[in-house]
Amino acid sequence: MKVRTKTSHVRESAKDRIFEIVVTVVLILFAVITTIPLISELAVSLSSKTASQMNLINLLPVEFTLDSWKYLLGKGGIWTPFLISVLSTILGVIIALLLNVLMAYPLSKIEFKASKYIMLFVVFTMVFAAPKVPYFLTLRSYGLYNSYWVLIFPHIITAYNLIIVRTFFKQFPKELEEAAMIDGCGKFRILFQIVLPASKAVLATVGLFYGVTMWNQYEHPMMFIQKMDLFPLQMKIRSIVDGGSELQAITMAQTANYTPATLSAVAVVFAILPILIGYPWIQKYFAKGAMLGSVKG
Amino acid sequence: MVSVKTKNVVAKSSGPKNHFKKYWPYYVMMLPGIIYLIMFKYVPMMGSVIAFKDYSAYKGIWESAWCGLENFKKLFMYPDFYKILRNTIVLGLLKTVLTFPIPVILALMLNELRNAKVKKGIQTIICIPYFVSWVVVGGLVFDIFGVGGLFNNVREFFGMDTLLVMQKEIWFRPIYVLSTIWKESGWGTVVYLATISSIDPSLYESAAIDGASRFQKMRYITFPLLIPTVLTLFLLNIGSFLTLGFDQVYNLYTPMTYAVADIFDTYVFRVGIQQAQYSFATAVGLFQSVVGLIMVVTFNKIANKVSEDGGLW
Repeated sequence: MKVRTKTSHVRESAKDRIFEIVVTVVLILFAVITTIPLISELAVSLSSKTASQMNLINLLPVEFTLDSWKYLLGKGGIWTPFLISVLSTILGVIIALLLNVLMAYPLSKIEFKASKYIMLFVVFTMVFAAPKVPYFLTLRSYGLYNSYWVLIFPHIITAYNLIIVRTFFKQFPKELEEAAMIDGCGKFRILFQIVLPASKAVLATVGLFYGVTMWNQYEHPMMFIQKMDLFPLQMKIRSIVDGGSELQAITMAQTANYTPATLSAVAVVFAILPILIGYPWIQKYFAKGAMLGSVKG
Repeated sequence: MVSVKTKNVVAKSSGPKNHFKKYWPYYVMMLPGIIYLIMFKYVPMMGSVIAFKDYSAYKGIWESAWCGLENFKKLFMYPDFYKILRNTIVLGLLKTVLTFPIPVILALMLNELRNAKVKKGIQTIICIPYFVSWVVVGGLVFDIFGVGGLFNNVREFFGMDTLLVMQKEIWFRPIYVLSTIWKESGWGTVVYLATISSIDPSLYESAAIDGASRFQKMRYITFPLLIPTVLTLFLLNIGSFLTLGFDQVYNLYTPMTYAVADIFDTYVFRVGIQQAQYSFATAVGLFQSVVGLIMVVTFNKIANKVSEDGGLW
């Protein structure tokens, strides 16, 4: 038996090795192609005005300079939008987690008969979206037009994420909760002192889901925010990428060692950096989250 | 008759009373969430009535006068409507047909890598774009395909003239598909790899004894066992394809490419919210939501039939 496996391994090895080499090469190529746009953008952001105007930049900076970065991080007015995005995301994730946990916990209890109907009420929001215009008019009537809160409130409960939390609570060992109940713990205390401390993984996962949505959001600020000084980061990035007349004028100056293209590149790279920094955590928890989230079970 | 009724009520009332006594904390817990869903999901849904009204800003959603199916008549006579419908369907189909298989292939290939570090490294890199916003992806695409971008520099190197990719109608769809592949296919492998990792290893061992090559193992073991997951995700994808998402198209199109790029989400935004044709745009949106609902429910049902735990619910 052992011998046979060994011989078959030897016999196939050449073919298998070629197979593995081909697969590896294709995958590495795919990974390289994935990164090329980012590398090219980084190169543009680090190049000089002349290099940019003469279309000389490909994958490496030409006439390396930090002038575009200095301008955007200095006078470019990117820090206010950045702060708006950071603060609204942090606050939003906290509110979202609190409301999701509070709602998902009762829904995870099979003996709590009402949960079935409330679940229907939740799932329906997943399959039928309100048309955009009445949605806009309603939220505007709540006073969310030109308000920071519009960056948070529309994203507090997503059926899909709520279901992930619920699925997790369902798998929580009943014995622990029952023991606490016998000790006279109320339902709120069981949730906050017994269940939640053991739910860090799902909180991190769902928190990241909400966080990435809020950080990357564009549609809501686009609909609701008209005032420039309320712009979150993505709106600011978009206005720099669009390179309006104001930006054109700034880059026309003799002393300016940047062009709309290099500034746009800086903005794009700037927006990717926080994602790259948080990426190790993001990857770890997102993979877990992607596996959860069926309404059933 | 009367006595029976009272009896019934008495018998029932002892139920709810106990129920509330026991479960009131659960209701308190759910209260904020339920109020939230009503305020942010259900009230806007009911606001859809303005599709059947002549919306007036002074009277608001509820007081405006009814106008029956006027807006829908206008909608179905309006050539733009068919254009948006066509664009949404074409882009949805392209997305489903051309980008859907790529994560499957990538996952099958990643699974064949024996070196764990290389595998992890490649996976890490190809997943990054998923977390980048469409604003940033749009910025990247415009910069790379614009004048002086990498794409045109390469063309120039080969002696070709500058091509204004983003301003040409014929290029919108390829750009749309490519940007989807770039952003989403790496992340799409996660679900498939998890399914693959749950395959019983003894299957591979017995295949090895029978002298199967690695390609054969992939072709005849891994791939067939992956099919149910692929099929389920495929069905769910089709079911939701009317909602392509506002951000992607809005950050990739230009007024020059509206004719092929405009989808329900972007059209409703421009006509409904920017130009304030509230009632008409609501009719368009309501059409999208209702057809979307029918499709999601239908395909979810099919997914449930195809594999046992397939559907979303």
